[in-house]
Amino acid sequence: MNRFLKLVHFEFQRFLKLYLVLMGVIILLQFVGVILESQNYLSRVNEHIYKDLMPKEQFIEQFGTYSFLQIAHSFWFMGPIVLSIAALMIYVFFIWYRDWLGKNTFIYRLFMLPTSRLNVYFAKAVVILLFIFGLLAVQLLLIPIENRVLQWMVPNEYFNMLSINEITNIDYLSILYPPTFMEFILYYGGGMIAVFIAFTAILFERSFRLKGIIYGILYTGLSSVIFIAPILINQLLLEDYFFPLEIFFMEVVMGLIVLAGTIWTAHYLLKNKIRV
Amino acid sequence: MEAKFNNRDPVYVQVIQHFKEQIAKGYFEPGQEIPSRRELANKLKINPNTAQRAYKEMEEQGLIFTEGNLPSRITKDDKLLKRVREELILEAVDTFVHSVRSINVPLSEVLGLVKDQYEKEMKE
Amino acid sequence: MIEVKNVTKKFGRKNVLKGVSFTAEKGEITCLIGINGVGKTTIMKAIMALTPIDGGEILIDGEKIRKESYEKITFIPDTITMPPSMKIKDAFLFMADFYGGWNQLRANELLQFFRLNENDRISELSKGNTAKVNLLLGLSLDVDYILMDEPFSGIDIFSREQIAEVFTSHLIEDRGVIITTHEINDIEHLIDKAVLIDNGVVLREFNTEEVREQEGKSVIDVMREVYKG
Repeated sequence: MNRFLKLVHFEFQRFLKLYLVLMGVIILLQFVGVILESQNYLSRVNEHIYKDLMPKEQFIEQFGTYSFLQIAHSFWFMGPIVLSIAALMIYVFFIWYRDWLGKNTFIYRLFMLPTSRLNVYFAKAVVILLFIFGLLAVQLLLIPIENRVLQWMVPNEYFNMLSINEITNIDYLSILYPPTFMEFILYYGGGMIAVFIAFTAILFERSFRLKGIIYGILYTGLSSVIFIAPILINQLLLEDYFFPLEIFFMEVVMGLIVLAGTIWTAHYLLKNKIRV
Repeated sequence: MEAKFNNRDPVYVQVIQHFKEQIAKGYFEPGQEIPSRRELANKLKINPNTAQRAYKEMEEQGLIFTEGNLPSRITKDDKLLKRVREELILEAVDTFVHSVRSINVPLSEVLGLVKDQYEKEMKE
Repeated sequence: MIEVKNVTKKFGRKNVLKGVSFTAEKGEITCLIGINGVGKTTIMKAIMALTPIDGGEILIDGEKIRKESYEKITFIPDTITMPPSMKIKDAFLFMADFYGGWNQLRANELLQFFRLNENDRISELSKGNTAKVNLLLGLSLDVDYILMDEPFSGIDIFSREQIAEVFTSHLIEDRGVIITTHEINDIEHLIDKAVLIDNGVVLREFNTEEVREQEGKSVIDVMREVYKG
């Protein structure tokens, strides 16, 4: 356990700088976005009301009030989120390949440590998950602050103050911040399992190289199919026989089975098939 | 103590030979402390196991002795030391006679040449 | 004792190891000799479970390798085993963190001996100094067995002398060492056992002093004999 925690700490430190830069970029871009987008709206307000002398009520009727909804759909807000997702997806692979490629052959050391190689696997997974949750937490903290700043920028008559709940209900944000417990388990659990599956696919490639890529893809496909089997069967074969709650429990079980299988496979590869 | 060893004769034998030469030449005094096997290996750049083997052989031949945990020392046995000197001289004589015998020279001439060469080297 | 028993390995269609068997004793320096590409590095990686084998078995002190074995045996490959962005002192901390057998005193001693600075960054070191750091990291572990892959390759002659110095010092004493090299000249008088490998098998495995005594041959003489015939 001790060595496992040390590995987690080590992997965490390696990415921390880049991670903080990423966070900095998110914060910067989103705040810039709040300012620029709201200014955009206000200049439209000015144009119509002061230049064209449109009455306020008509403007509001025609163009609507301003709220965080517009911010949430702006490039300045979504861009950093997409960037973070992309960065983390890349790091899921890079966290392994960085120790194998070029002048870096640190993988020799990682596999010669007097600890189970599965600990290396778990440490990398835990760190990815920590980073994901970190970003989600930061984003969640930013939203009310950005909303407040928005409130300062836009005069009350034009501003519609949304609650945090309402904001996180906005389409894609409701996936990141699920309103129900069941959805939370499904999305986050599924996401977690996806990370593990990706790791195991990487291990297939590192064990068998070219053939390994095919094994990895096949493995990912198989695991995915097994995972959503209850949903598929329910909808295609049984014509929606089961209640959502029952499907949910079946999914949880499937998820655990797939997770166990993935970890077992990783363990097998690390012990018997991997080569530096 | 610098020595160059060839790779065809057992190194431990060469080490013993080297010690005998050092003794005969007087570089090693009777009773003098010699380096530990590890120090010797390091000095001569040989495998420590070889140094160990050499010391074991020399101990068996009586060339060196070890009292308890103290460092090994050159024997103080005069008779043995004399024998070592003689052994080396005889070896040299043996080699010389062997290489010179095939050339047909009378013994007196050979001895004369030896005397001249000996005196020449004494002066240098 | 490390026992390599009838190990076979294929890379794709190429049969690299066709039944390699030899032993390496603790307290002895065993040298694997063979041309480039014959599989010496593969054998070492196989012993360390860094590459899988297709057949045969490898035992370390009578048992198959497990995670605890890495406190007993270490491998010094010809490539650096630390992230290049690390400073030498960070590498020390890492090793101390993960290995119970890390000997910081010996590490400091070697650091001085190799004339390196703990604040140097690994990525900025010359090839020779990188090799020295690698050696340092391996030798500072209190392990029974050390595997070294081409410790002399690509290093200038003075560095090589330093490394040969290491072999005859207390740093190696009582440990079992397996090394591979083609610079057999430099170290012939240092090794206890030679294992000649060609074409995926061991052609001859012998104790150097025994062969000198019984056959009057140097290792290079034997090599000439064995590789010609």
